[in-house]
Amino acid sequence: MSELREPCVPGLFTEEEGGRLLGARCRSCGTPYFPAPSHCRNPACAGSELVAEAFGGAGTLWSYSVANFAPPAPHKFDAPFRPYVIGVVDLDAGLRVVGQMLGAASEMRVGARVELVIDPISHEDGKAFTSWKFRLA
Amino acid sequence: MQEVVVLGVGMHRFGKTGDAIVGNKSVTELCRAAVDMALKDAGVSWRQIEAVSAASSRFSGGKGWGLNGNDIVEDLGCTGIPVFNLSAGCAAGGNAFNVGYSMVAGGMYDMVLVVGGEVMPKGMIQTSGVEDINDPEFLRQRCVGMPGPAFWATLARRRMHDHGTTEAQLARVTVKARKCAVGNPYARFQKEVSIDEVLASPYVSDPLRLFEICPVSNGAAAAVICSAAMARRFTRKPVTVATSTVATIGFDDALPRSLAGPVPSGASFHTEAKAAVMRAFERAGIGPREVSFTELQDNTCYYELAFPEEWGLCEPGEAEHLVEAGETAPSGRMPINPSGGFVSFGEATTAMGVFQIAELTWQLRGEAGARQVPGARVGLAQTNGLGGNATAAILKR
Repeated sequence: MSELREPCVPGLFTEEEGGRLLGARCRSCGTPYFPAPSHCRNPACAGSELVAEAFGGAGTLWSYSVANFAPPAPHKFDAPFRPYVIGVVDLDAGLRVVGQMLGAASEMRVGARVELVIDPISHEDGKAFTSWKFRLA
Repeated sequence: MQEVVVLGVGMHRFGKTGDAIVGNKSVTELCRAAVDMALKDAGVSWRQIEAVSAASSRFSGGKGWGLNGNDIVEDLGCTGIPVFNLSAGCAAGGNAFNVGYSMVAGGMYDMVLVVGGEVMPKGMIQTSGVEDINDPEFLRQRCVGMPGPAFWATLARRRMHDHGTTEAQLARVTVKARKCAVGNPYARFQKEVSIDEVLASPYVSDPLRLFEICPVSNGAAAAVICSAAMARRFTRKPVTVATSTVATIGFDDALPRSLAGPVPSGASFHTEAKAAVMRAFERAGIGPREVSFTELQDNTCYYELAFPEEWGLCEPGEAEHLVEAGETAPSGRMPINPSGGFVSFGEATTAMGVFQIAELTWQLRGEAGARQVPGARVGLAQTNGLGGNATAAILKR
């Protein structure tokens, strides 16, 4: 039986195409954004021509750490708390993104190839609340 | 511009709610103790203070609006003076000092009280106070769960990759910090720790351990600053404020502070801290190698390694060796955090920028006791805070 899945925050990402972050890119200066801002924030860009872009796929692990203790609110997690790895990933599309990693710290190394996925971070009222994460490729 | 001096400083020893140091004192009580001490040190009465520049707390007092300066004025007696409440995350104390300094330098007031204090909630700092999907900090905590220690640990892990820094080298920074705090009457932790004890403490956020990350503390600090012209009436040996600066992050900052940003073309560091410190060197006409000692924001020992290199106090990749050779101790050639730093005090968030001014003043007067930097002439202070805020100050005698 597949569980009912719902994004932990609506409108930020999609499960389509293996998982994509719904962001934008400025056509004028090329700056990628996630989430999408209302206008380009590059002070050197006079243009601000934002177009929607979905970011996902492969990237490289820039660094990582571990949440050895449960973070404070407004984070939500399933009890009992289990430590998780947090990655900082440079997507090949040019976006540096933070996200939880699937897998243990002992499996991680800086420079590893990873890919973006959508996966549950907590459960409530019979539903799985999802977020974006990364797994080793 | 008027020359600005520090006339008097004060502090309430840092502690933890319920302990023998701070007990259940309110933030206003802690601030009152620090202010009374600073006024006495300056030889100034409360009625001579012309304005108050206070750090705004999100956690305690201030009528829930960060009006901590107003609480202090009410407590000391309403004299009708202007109060400025400054909010800049953990850089708020530094911002309050900068605004006080700017007002005296600009000739608006001659005698200003700068103050910051906190009574902190237990545990890791809750960085986002609202459930608002337009707040990037809320999204970061809800969607990922990356509190302060995990951010610092990510930077530490990257440094280990770039420079081969070992866990023992990180631990050695804490050993040095805690040794400095022995005999500092204002430090929360006044006992030495061994490298084995540091390495036996649990990970808060691997690779950073409990003893390598500052806890939250309750505490307060205050400074009375005034114009050099007015200072002559009170003292022959004032400590001069060479400069005070504030900066925020640049667009090219690529540290993982929010959810995402452009991948940078090269190495990425704290742009706000570097900008504040570089601007301070430029304005003061003082170079990094002329600094006698530095009090920097060591939320974790990582910063004692990274910041001195980023600011030109030493060469890139050199910091670990300086720590191991004892050169960052008060008697070394690049003393860092002779007070014991945040790791020994714990962070009373908005008090820290003022705490640093007090330590710089004691060091420059030669009143720092066992932790005294021999012959200290120039001190550098630096804070940074949520939102990409940073401050720096250079004091000299």
